[in-house]
Amino acid sequence: MFLNYLKIAFRNLLKHKAYAAVNIVGLSVAFGVCLLLFLTVYHEFSYDNFHANGKTLYRVYNQLGTDQKGTVLMAPFTPAVQKEFPNEVRRISRIVDAGGLVRVGDKEMGKNVRLVDPDFLQMFTFPLIKGDANTALNSLSSVVLTEKVATDLFGSADPIGKTVSLLLTDTWQPFIVSGVMANLPENSSVQFEVLGRFELNPNYQASKDQWDSQYHSVFLQLDEKVSEAAFEQRLRPFTSKYLVETLRNLKRDGAQADENGDLASFRLLPMRDMHFNAEVGGDTVSAIKPVYLYLLLVIGGLILLIACINFINLSTARSLTRSKEVGMRKVLGALKMQLAFQFWGEALIICLFSLGLGGLMAFGLLSEYKKLFNNALSLASYKDPIVLLSILGAFLLVTILAGGYPALFMARFNTIEVLKGKISSARSSSASAGGLRNTLVVVQFAIATFLIVCTLIVWQQISFLRSMPLGYNQNQVVSIPVGSGVSGQKALELMRDKLAQQPRILSITGTSRNLGRGTDGSTYTSIIGFDYKNRGVRSHYLRVDYDYIKTLDLKLLAGRDFSREFATDTTTAVVINEAMAKQLAEKNPIGTLLNINDGQPPMQVVGVVKDYHFESLKQSINPITFFIDTDWPVNYIFVKIAPDNAPATMDLLKKTWAEVAPKSTFLGTFLDENTNRQYRSEERMSQIFMSAAVLAIILSCMGLFAIAIMVMTQRTKEIGVRKVLGASVFSIVALLSRDFLKLVLVGIIIASPLAWWGMSKWLQEFAFKIDIEWWVFALAGLLAVLIAFVTVSFQSIKAALRNPVTSLRSE
Amino acid sequence: MIRTNNLQKIFSTEEVETTALHGINMDIQDGEFVAIMGPSGCGKSTLLNIIGLLDNPSEGEYHFYGTEVSKMSERQRAQLRKGSIGFVFQSFNLIDELTVYENVELPLLYLKVDAAERKARVEEALTRMNIMHRRNHFPQQLSGGQQQRTAIARAVVAKPKLILADEPTGNLDSANGEEVMKLLLQLNEEGTTIIMVTHSPYDAGFAHRIVNLFDGKVVTENFHV
Repeated sequence: MFLNYLKIAFRNLLKHKAYAAVNIVGLSVAFGVCLLLFLTVYHEFSYDNFHANGKTLYRVYNQLGTDQKGTVLMAPFTPAVQKEFPNEVRRISRIVDAGGLVRVGDKEMGKNVRLVDPDFLQMFTFPLIKGDANTALNSLSSVVLTEKVATDLFGSADPIGKTVSLLLTDTWQPFIVSGVMANLPENSSVQFEVLGRFELNPNYQASKDQWDSQYHSVFLQLDEKVSEAAFEQRLRPFTSKYLVETLRNLKRDGAQADENGDLASFRLLPMRDMHFNAEVGGDTVSAIKPVYLYLLLVIGGLILLIACINFINLSTARSLTRSKEVGMRKVLGALKMQLAFQFWGEALIICLFSLGLGGLMAFGLLSEYKKLFNNALSLASYKDPIVLLSILGAFLLVTILAGGYPALFMARFNTIEVLKGKISSARSSSASAGGLRNTLVVVQFAIATFLIVCTLIVWQQISFLRSMPLGYNQNQVVSIPVGSGVSGQKALELMRDKLAQQPRILSITGTSRNLGRGTDGSTYTSIIGFDYKNRGVRSHYLRVDYDYIKTLDLKLLAGRDFSREFATDTTTAVVINEAMAKQLAEKNPIGTLLNINDGQPPMQVVGVVKDYHFESLKQSINPITFFIDTDWPVNYIFVKIAPDNAPATMDLLKKTWAEVAPKSTFLGTFLDENTNRQYRSEERMSQIFMSAAVLAIILSCMGLFAIAIMVMTQRTKEIGVRKVLGASVFSIVALLSRDFLKLVLVGIIIASPLAWWGMSKWLQEFAFKIDIEWWVFALAGLLAVLIAFVTVSFQSIKAALRNPVTSLRSE
Repeated sequence: MIRTNNLQKIFSTEEVETTALHGINMDIQDGEFVAIMGPSGCGKSTLLNIIGLLDNPSEGEYHFYGTEVSKMSERQRAQLRKGSIGFVFQSFNLIDELTVYENVELPLLYLKVDAAERKARVEEALTRMNIMHRRNHFPQQLSGGQQQRTAIARAVVAKPKLILADEPTGNLDSANGEEVMKLLLQLNEEGTTIIMVTHSPYDAGFAHRIVNLFDGKVVTENFHV
């Protein structure tokens, strides 16, 4: 009997190739897309899940007032916690980035070096291949390498006991390799290649008792019996005891207390949430909001839903041609459930086939996909039982949804009527099956329209961000990250010397902070708070160098730029922006004295520049204060070049940089590239939306096309009669297309408010944003209608042109 | 062994009620060949559907080989019908996606007959209906007469006691029709009870008895022995 079912199934597929193709292509694409999206989401959610102590691991952050959160903690915090909570805190480790130059013999490489406490290797699950995790970092002169670094430095030789030099300060220091660690999994938020002891940090001695010195993160492992909430409670008296001055200042400045009534607090972020908390999570990898991941799942689900709808619609529509078979089988004694099982089995075959094709497709597209959406997906997770079970579960659900309904629908045919040929097109298409089919078509086009609108709005917002004038020269200025192993100040001066005679180089300056996001990927800002006329004032605090204003073409509104003519400009002069001037509430801020650093002479405002967007357009323009202080690092060198022949100038810069800083790779980029890079996640989102929208439209139209064929065949007689009675071809095309277009219109009406709501939410992330305009919806709707019309009219024109004699005779 | 008592069948839609059968009393003995005649819409097919256990009467009793079946569920009727009734239709109702052989095999699959016996019985039926040479063809590749012979093979393959034929020659030319009638007669002579609905007085001539229906009532019964 089973063989008989199989035979019928395959012969049916072969006989109705168009329907089989629509179903299989649609489902394969949907399965493939879903697999990729699902694996992406699974990968993201797997972040930091490999730590054996995962449930008791936390990152510590502090909160001031209601909204100011930070993970960069005070130098004496960790010893104080160890002293106060010996029973609650099992292990604790500070972690700080310590640059990256590593040397063995004359081999010198840039590596990611982190300084940590000895507990680090025991609390986290980063297993050592060689050496003992309990003792590897006991000595200040030990370092632990990852397997990859060990191979890079020592080849196949055993690195244990060998010497490695690190450039932690200005001089090379030797260390003994005491352990080799397995390479870090990609899904770890904490990333490093070389580990040394925290005390090696050059700031350590000077700052270890300074509560106002903040430069490292802290992770801790709580005792199993201590809950997160309980420990946060315990940290409240701790805060009052140790942060006396901070609390006093906050109170004076009128900071708002948080939900517990505290002005300042230390809190815990569970390790498992690291990857998903954009405020205090992340480390080297930027955190991702879970809502984006759910969005991906929803998009995958929608595509699959569209393909399922095609399947349901085609199966029910086509079932009429099989009604005779159903009737005859019933006459011969088949039970309803037997028939339903038979048809469900046919659906299963198609789905299985599609799943296989979809899997192949996902596999084939993987590398393109990774490039496009910039994620580190691997096929290894296919083998994970959870993934396999989820795929199997989703697959069965699809077959039950898509195959089950049509199967039951067919099995319920009335035996006598079908044998008499009475289940005719007209009846069943107007009855429940037709109603359902219409509803499903509406759902499909609602989804498609929704996605089109989202694509349009995301795209509009991105081009808005791109084209918005930022208030400085982005096109002519090259930003060069200084990198490690060279002093920025020295590099800046050398660059000035070497390029002084070049007519194509217009101006050179240095700064501590990049504009936009460079290829070095780092962002960093320094914020100061001080009192001005008994009020707390906050401002970004930016180390610049001479010619910063000139190089960036900032507009000076009052006063002057920094100048070499005034010796005090490198010690006590600042230039502020309009927002800062507004905060100071001074009509003429030039000459105003600001007590920025306690115990040092006040800084004097010498100039005011027009506001410019030094941050992403997600933020409004905040106060910023420029200063020149050669004790602060120059991390980026900005060079303004003449507009003509930029590639040649870029080559010149590259050559000069190689002379100035031979150990640092040239990563220079134009500022406009950097600012565009800030919106990469938005861009990625628009790409995902666009791909989804295109797929949704194609799949929906494939379904519509096939249904149109069915309906036209069913209405052959009606068309024939109308033509005999004198209807024109045009009126018949209009008649036939109208019904479909109605459905599409209803879909648009449903989708528009949903898309409007969703996109308004999304736009709230931006301080500068477009207004959602009505024409976006009109355009999306028009697009959907047009595509649907073209799809349907193929069939309706064909039907309308047919000679009525043949169509009437066929009845 | 078929006995009906005051059978009524009423079809009702939201607006109209149509009485198709109006108190039918009928007795058919084992081995009989009965033709049911009457004008279009007189209820012939409705009666045949009820006799064939495809449908239930609205009222009245129906004893099928001693079992009262008028109130049975579809599931029960399907069980009873399987193997005991063969059907032959005017439009053949062969399954297009199955070959001649597979069409004839289908009833045995539902009866769960094992493979070896199935093969023997299908081949026997095909030989008997003189369609064996076409066993691997699909229905569309056959003439009308060949299709109807396949349908008859399918009706007899399970060796039912009763064959119901609804206008079996209606879609055939006279030569093919004649052949089909001869096959039915032969089956009857071997002991199968046959009930046939027909418009054709010629075909009805093959039967032992002709029941004339008019407006859902039996008007006359003619015996020719």
